[in-house]
Amino acid sequence: MDHASTAELPRPDTDTSTPVHSYNVRICHWVNVVACAYLLWSGVHIFLDFPELYWGHTGYRGYPAAFRLADWGLSWDAAGAFGDRRWGRNYHFTFAWVFLINGLIYVGWNLYSTHFRNQMLPARGELRLAHVLAEVRDHVRRRSRLHASGSYGTLQKTSYLILIFVFVPFMIATGLAQSPGLTAAMPALLDLFGGRQTARTLHTIGTVVFVLFVTVHVLEVAAAGFLTKVRSMITGK
Amino acid sequence: MSHRISRRAWLTSVPALGGLLLTGCSRERFVPPRVRGGLIGAADVLTMSTNRLLQSSQPLAREYSRTDVADPFPTWNQTNPRNEEYQQHASEGFRNWRLPITGLVARPRELSLDEIRSLPARTQITAHVCEQGWSAIGEWTGAQLQRVLEAVGGVTPAARYVVIDTFDRWYESYDLFEVEHPQTILAYGLNGRDLPRGNGAPLRLRVERQCGYKNLKFLKSIQVVDSIARFGRGTGGTNSDFGFHWFAGV
Repeated sequence: MDHASTAELPRPDTDTSTPVHSYNVRICHWVNVVACAYLLWSGVHIFLDFPELYWGHTGYRGYPAAFRLADWGLSWDAAGAFGDRRWGRNYHFTFAWVFLINGLIYVGWNLYSTHFRNQMLPARGELRLAHVLAEVRDHVRRRSRLHASGSYGTLQKTSYLILIFVFVPFMIATGLAQSPGLTAAMPALLDLFGGRQTARTLHTIGTVVFVLFVTVHVLEVAAAGFLTKVRSMITGK
Repeated sequence: MSHRISRRAWLTSVPALGGLLLTGCSRERFVPPRVRGGLIGAADVLTMSTNRLLQSSQPLAREYSRTDVADPFPTWNQTNPRNEEYQQHASEGFRNWRLPITGLVARPRELSLDEIRSLPARTQITAHVCEQGWSAIGEWTGAQLQRVLEAVGGVTPAARYVVIDTFDRWYESYDLFEVEHPQTILAYGLNGRDLPRGNGAPLRLRVERQCGYKNLKFLKSIQVVDSIARFGRGTGGTNSDFGFHWFAGV
């Protein structure tokens, strides 16, 4: 029948490479969306309550700052009126635990189920410069849908792996390095970044990087067919 | 099928680990005196338990060198309590100020500033970490809280918390694990001089492993108790009465 044969062809506005996501990937993805949304919004509140950044161990109002929101047009009082640090701290530390436990389940499960090894570790040939360049070229021309069905592209694999195994530990460590309790128990956290204020500044820069990642991620999903991709992350099909 | 079993094992391991931490240890060392409801309360318990587990050997908070000190030390919030009694003491140079230590101690009594100064002194150059995000390093000199309590005969076996009241009308409670820490001092000196009014004269608490708001200024009295339920709204401190964390290690 005509019907069956046209269904086999890639349609221009959808992505036939849609991977089948496991239960674990789907549940962890959406728990992560909620946790990250709360972490981001509560973090913004905490920052606005004290909208200056410093380098080193010391930083207080009047001390030479690396960044002052007031220099960018939002006065201390205006920022403080918006930033609710009580709400911010309560939710930041609550969803940090949700994020951490969810992340450990995700990583643990996918190490065990070989999802990482089979689907996310780039094959040797994939990391060759020629291959990466070809993929970038394809990507720019929006032909990423031509990838073999059910697999991630090299760029996708690399960015997810860097996100999970480099960026997330970096954000956790820069967060913990601001805690007076945990730095007493693990003083290496202070030396790792060169001070509590440096850790706070890096944590904030990391937040900006995270927002950029999410923006690109959502744009990529939109480019690949938003509804199809979101449906696949919910139903697994 | 084996997948299903291991997934369940995974999920149950988290509360099981929590249970393991709490068995055989005193509850107040790992759990806030009043646990809030919902997910926030669960996170409070996880945060405090994790901190206390990692701190079980009572490590010292980082001590810095003199060149790191902020002098003058920044002031924040209340810098001169508008309390009549406080102003009277201040005008007399705190000569008639006394610190009553009452409750579950062997010999409740009042200590003068000179009596506290005559106890073995500890000087520590540490970071004051405000939960708002700022931090500054100061050289604090004072008597260890543990020594102060020993000066009134020590705490009785029923004691669980130390409650401190201040002239700027704050109160906070501390479990004995925090009280026993060598860096938990009642400071009367800052950067080699008497503690300035703006930083909490005549005496302030230093708990170096918790945020600034647990480091009370303008001390008025100390009570040793078995339960914090009858103070304020019963959460264990002014800050937690307002919805902040009781355990301020993060």
